[in-house]
Amino acid sequence: MNVRWARLLTRLYPKQWRERYGEEMEELLRAGDVDLRSTFDVVRAALAESLWPTHGGSMDQRVYTFGGVTRQPSAAVPLAMSTTALIMVLGAVALNHGPIHDTDEGAVAHIWQILMVLQLPALALFAIRWLRRALRPTLEVLALQVGVILVNVAVVLFLT
Amino acid sequence: MRSTQNVVENPKSGNAGFGGEYSDPPLLVLASLAGGPKHGHAMIEDIALLCGSRLGPGTLYGAIARLEQQGWIEPLPAEQRRRPYRITPAGMKVLRAKLATLHRFTTAGLKRLEAV
Repeated sequence: MNVRWARLLTRLYPKQWRERYGEEMEELLRAGDVDLRSTFDVVRAALAESLWPTHGGSMDQRVYTFGGVTRQPSAAVPLAMSTTALIMVLGAVALNHGPIHDTDEGAVAHIWQILMVLQLPALALFAIRWLRRALRPTLEVLALQVGVILVNVAVVLFLT
Repeated sequence: MRSTQNVVENPKSGNAGFGGEYSDPPLLVLASLAGGPKHGHAMIEDIALLCGSRLGPGTLYGAIARLEQQGWIEPLPAEQRRRPYRITPAGMKVLRAKLATLHRFTTAGLKRLEAV
């Protein structure tokens, strides 16, 4: 088969699939005697791959790293919430030039509490979704999130 | 195991269109790799020899991707732009179990046909 035609057919597949199998598929198409039926077969398979992508295997190694899992919304949202809470409380302490001892909790404290509570269901959702798919990077992300939560609690306990 | 039905008929097989060809691509790929590691083109040729079914390139790679996902086959280092695959011990186990079931099924089916 013509190299350009083989490349064009391979490009019908989703990018993630192409990164894993694209080169060998292109070689198979280029080397083989591909007729109209085989061309239709590739188009159908590429469409199926777009609708029901293949996960797992070595194709998902790139996604299931620590960085890949951290970028998932279910991991990024609770992490962003606890980081925001930490920045807020540290900012309040910095603006006060030291520990805060007011009896009135104020808006910052209320927002901090809301952020800390709301991140818990998000964290649970993340754990349910990702522990089965990628155990090790998910545990690493969970450890990071627990660490940020503990720092938050420590800051609140010792500086306010 | 997902069975993709789009198997390109082999006009040389002589019984194309009469249901004489077996079309379970993942099982065909496993059976082909049971004979030793192969790349895509070699698998297509081997499967055509094995049972008369000629897998289309898309069907073949659909089966390869899912078998790899299930851990029943694994890729070997690429040879130029071709990548050979080999069956894993788990794949061997699955193949043996599936073939044993098929064997029981065909034996029983043929016995019934003989009785007719």
